Amino acid sequence: MRSNVAVAAVLLALGGYIFVEANRLPFGTFHVPQTAFFPKTLAILLLILSGTLLARAFVGSEAWIPSEKIAPAGWIRIGVTLAMLAVFALVLERVGFLLATFLLMIILLRAIEARDWRKVIAVALATALISYGLFAWLLGVPLPAGVLGI
Amino acid sequence: MDFLADVGLGFSVALTPINLLFCFLGSLVGTLVGVLPGLGPVGAVAFLLSLTFKMEPASAVIMLAGIYYGAMYGGSTTSILVNIPGETASVVTCLDGYRMARQGRAGAALGIAAFGSFIAGTVGVIGLMFLAPLLGRAALRFGPPEFFALTLTGLTLVAYLTQGSIIKALIMATLGLLAGTVGMDPISGQERFTYGTLTLRDGFGLVPVAMGLFGIAEVLENLAHIGSHSVYEAKIKGLWPNAKDWKDSARPIARGSLLGFFLGILPGPGPVIASFVSYAMEKRLSPYPEKFGTGVIEGVAGPEAANNAATASSFIPLLSLGIPTSAIMALFMGALVIHGIQPGPLFIAKYPELFWGFIVSMYVGNAMLLVLNLPLIGMWVRVLKTPYGILCPLILLFCLIGVYSLNANVVEITIMIAFGIGGFLMRRAGFEGAPFILALVLGPIMETSLRQSLLISRGNFSIFVTRPICAVLIAVTAAFLIWPVIRPKKKPGG
Repeated sequence: MRSNVAVAAVLLALGGYIFVEANRLPFGTFHVPQTAFFPKTLAILLLILSGTLLARAFVGSEAWIPSEKIAPAGWIRIGVTLAMLAVFALVLERVGFLLATFLLMIILLRAIEARDWRKVIAVALATALISYGLFAWLLGVPLPAGVLGI
Repeated sequence: MDFLADVGLGFSVALTPINLLFCFLGSLVGTLVGVLPGLGPVGAVAFLLSLTFKMEPASAVIMLAGIYYGAMYGGSTTSILVNIPGETASVVTCLDGYRMARQGRAGAALGIAAFGSFIAGTVGVIGLMFLAPLLGRAALRFGPPEFFALTLTGLTLVAYLTQGSIIKALIMATLGLLAGTVGMDPISGQERFTYGTLTLRDGFGLVPVAMGLFGIAEVLENLAHIGSHSVYEAKIKGLWPNAKDWKDSARPIARGSLLGFFLGILPGPGPVIASFVSYAMEKRLSPYPEKFGTGVIEGVAGPEAANNAATASSFIPLLSLGIPTSAIMALFMGALVIHGIQPGPLFIAKYPELFWGFIVSMYVGNAMLLVLNLPLIGMWVRVLKTPYGILCPLILLFCLIGVYSLNANVVEITIMIAFGIGGFLMRRAGFEGAPFILALVLGPIMETSLRQSLLISRGNFSIFVTRPICAVLIAVTAAFLIWPVIRPKKKPGG
């Protein structure tokens, strides 16, 4: 129950924030609705719905089905993965696709299921080369060449 | 004779070597993502959407459709052999399919799933062929109020049919509509909620959001619980079901095809619901309902037929009304719009070669899957043994490439990651992604039609109840919203 309360509270805050933000735009009238008309209506709807969720959570009529608990090792895998995705986005255009992919694959392969380094490097290298060949050359996707200049 | 000419036109488009190739590729990739539990058809279509830019529109649609129905075939393989549904429409196939496999009848289960899918897929396509043009012609008389009511009904139904809490699904739909307002106002062109970012000026891209919610979030969920699954090892022999299997399955397949077809037209995850309803129906009609769940072939044949028929018919509302009814249809709409094609009442008249080519390609694709999949089952079993430690980085890499290749814009990767985290957390809190993604696409249609309606009526809301079609739709929506409130309580927490 408490978790539903927390979720509803966050949604209420979000609804309030959107309402305030939409307030800066012209609303128009019902005759001639303007830019803020739709988002503001939706913000009110969101407030009503999350208010209902909050109320239902308080009286205990909104079921909370607890998701499977994630072990610390699971959170570490998730954290490392997300961090690597962010790093990939940051360095992609600087170091180029080949290098960025190679590094991404090495770290992900190690982090998700530790295996021996030779295998990791082989798989990472193969993935980087094959995906670059497939997407950049065959399919003509504009992937950044970066420092390697290929 | 017009009809034959149309079908002939369809064949002339679908049977060109290049389109046959894309049909084949789509079905193959679809089966692959269907087989692999980690990635669903939504993620796969989102990924390949960005690669269809340079294709002819017909080839693009043919390939993407192949992924969708291919995934329905592939999903059943995983259900039967591993007891893990490859995608959600195959959940019920696990019940009897896996039991059959344990009894050494994996071949018959896989065979009937494939034949049932083929028969139902064909029924679905034939229905689509007749119904879509009819509905399209009727929709020519629709004005902004009808379109507003349609989008409203669609979203409400999707929220209603989503498993879990209706209020949470409605919240997701509202959030999706709000996300759809980001960017330029569709009528005045004024910027909203862009905070000066160039990327957001065109709004949240469908692909990064879909990849985040359905690709990244799914992978994160799997990363949380890496477990091992055991593939059924025994030799699979005799894929051709025997005479008794056929006799037992004929009616379930026929019923599943019809049921699936009609449920697929309705908004919501049609194939998923169709498979569940079909299973329940077969169990009720069976002379031995107690045997369901122990490996009866009817429990595989019915649902597998139903989900394939629903796959075909779920294209009807998109192609004839321009209203997508599920997350995957939203992506198809995106694929058409990228090529400058607006699906809707005029679609079939304006692009006959595209419509009929697409329809015929679905026949061809279904036949290809039947011929290809049975011999390829050995290969899919090997694919299933790929360790998740390798699969997961690969899926993530595909997501990254897919999003980046769209506009070569790193900001979109960030958007994808953000929606991935958001989707993962929301899912853990009991919120589903499908209403969000559908609302994101329907948002601009809904806003435009709402504002136009009010302009027409000079601010009078009665325009939505005085026009007959509109009034019916609004009444249906209201019924679905009020029913959960007044319904007699079954159990606390329900």
